[in-house]
Amino acid sequence: MKPFFFISAVISACVSVCIVLFMIILGLPLFREGLFFSMLTSPWNPSNGVFGLYPMIIGTLGISSLALVFGFPLSLGTAALISGLAPKPLAAVLRKTVQAMTGIPTVVYGFIGVFLLVPLIRNLAGEGSGMCILSSALLLSVLISPTMILTFSDTFDQVPVKTRMAATALGATPVQTFLWVVLPASKKGLVTGLILGMGRAMGDTLIALMISGNAIAVPDSLFSPARTLTAHIALVIASDFDSPEFKTLFACGLVLYGFTALSTLAVRAIDTVFRSES
Amino acid sequence: MSRMEKIRIDDLSFAYGKRTILNRVEARFMENTITAITGPSGQGKSSFLMVLNRLWETIPGAHVTGRVNIRFDGEFRDIHHRSMPLTRLRRTVGMVFQTPNPLPMSVAGNVAFPLKLAGTGKRKNTEERVEKALSRVHLWDEVKDRLKDDARKLSGGQQQRLCMARALVFEPEILLLDEPASSLDAKAAAGIEDLMLELKNTCTLIVVSHSMDQVRRTADRVLTLESGELHGCESS
Ligand SMILES: Nc1ncnc2c1ncn2[C@@H]1O[C@H](COP(=O)(O)OP(=O)(O)O)[C@@H](O)[C@H]1O
Ligand SMILES: [Mg+2]
Repeated sequence: MKPFFFISAVISACVSVCIVLFMIILGLPLFREGLFFSMLTSPWNPSNGVFGLYPMIIGTLGISSLALVFGFPLSLGTAALISGLAPKPLAAVLRKTVQAMTGIPTVVYGFIGVFLLVPLIRNLAGEGSGMCILSSALLLSVLISPTMILTFSDTFDQVPVKTRMAATALGATPVQTFLWVVLPASKKGLVTGLILGMGRAMGDTLIALMISGNAIAVPDSLFSPARTLTAHIALVIASDFDSPEFKTLFACGLVLYGFTALSTLAVRAIDTVFRSES
Repeated sequence: MSRMEKIRIDDLSFAYGKRTILNRVEARFMENTITAITGPSGQGKSSFLMVLNRLWETIPGAHVTGRVNIRFDGEFRDIHHRSMPLTRLRRTVGMVFQTPNPLPMSVAGNVAFPLKLAGTGKRKNTEERVEKALSRVHLWDEVKDRLKDDARKLSGGQQQRLCMARALVFEPEILLLDEPASSLDAKAAAGIEDLMLELKNTCTLIVVSHSMDQVRRTADRVLTLESGELHGCESS
């Protein structure tokens, strides 16, 4: 078994190195002309020959952080219910439901978003199409929650029964036990779950594509449409190849890759910090 | 000397699922006494203690029938009655588990935890009470410089005494000790025996013990739990 895992690890490491190399090589002209870094901060203005990614970077960061803002409390609450606060049968049903949710294809969420959420938000905003940052962040928060819920509840479950019993015997209510014993002991898992959630949110393409409106402009309110890096890649690939627009894709890929690498590093760093702490 | 009854147990049965642990037990416990409970392991001594603070309710499949009455402020109350606040019960009936179970927080945090629960966390006062509780279990000198350390870094014997201090910080009226000397060396065990005798002035103690010497030195009465029955004799 061990050699098998070793080989898999080597292969996946190679693949990921190849992907970076591939993107760097294909994006090389951008680097050579010093374009890459100016792209990160300039607007998208094709008629003047400016193909900046700034709006998409803001779109990606905005939508995914907002999705976390909605998804984190939702996930924390649900995980708390699953791991001790809800009566056993309800907890079991919740857990099964959340596990099932991880298997639902994203496009289903997209449809629900287009037909239910978007009209709702349109009415709420009283203007625009309803395809905006808020809609896609709300929907994304539902999409990323199962990942966070399962990570959180795994961490909560690691607090030993005898520890919970100690708190209970001292007169702690289940909620007090959760808030003052389980939660502080789960810091690491909470951060890991958050980062995994952020990763899923940034990596998602379909939801962003279907309901965030795709306008290439820096959004100025929750009801503004926006385009994410992933949606940008999908849209450009679908419409042309070998144009200046097309070349920006490699930059998009590199930026996304950078975000992913950062979150992986963050998980590692947290791991080390918390290990040295306990 | 006429002592008052503190705990009355009538027709008490306890089971894990279909497996009966206690079978229609009758017992009385007097105020300011130490009752030792002995018996082969796996007979339900720890489970019996968990009936008295209703901790068994957290165990899936466990169930209890019968009556347990405890005297609060001069009046007997059925601990299973709806009107009995669990928090009050568990604050009155302190418990120290068989294996030390420090909470995942600092040494001081562990001892102060019951105060925090009760919302009586006035800072100065808390520090005083933590020190007092730790001193009573002869742990203060060993940990006074590491109050902020994680409690799980203490040795087994220190953890045991820490858990005892934690149970004492609220001055319980009844104290349940499950094999309190099992992870202690001889010196610390002797310290705990002294403490038990001292606590007798304010507490009703029920102590599960395998050490016949300890029982002889401390207990007013010995009960044996076997085959679901609790029987015994008065001593000294
Ligand atoms: N949580 C539990 N669920 C089911 N059975 C249990 C549980 N805890 C203990 N038991 C069983 O109940 C019996 C009594 O256990 P315990 O009260 O710990 O005995 P003692 O303290 O006398 O050694 C044992 O046979 C044990 O296997
Ligand atoms: Mg036991």
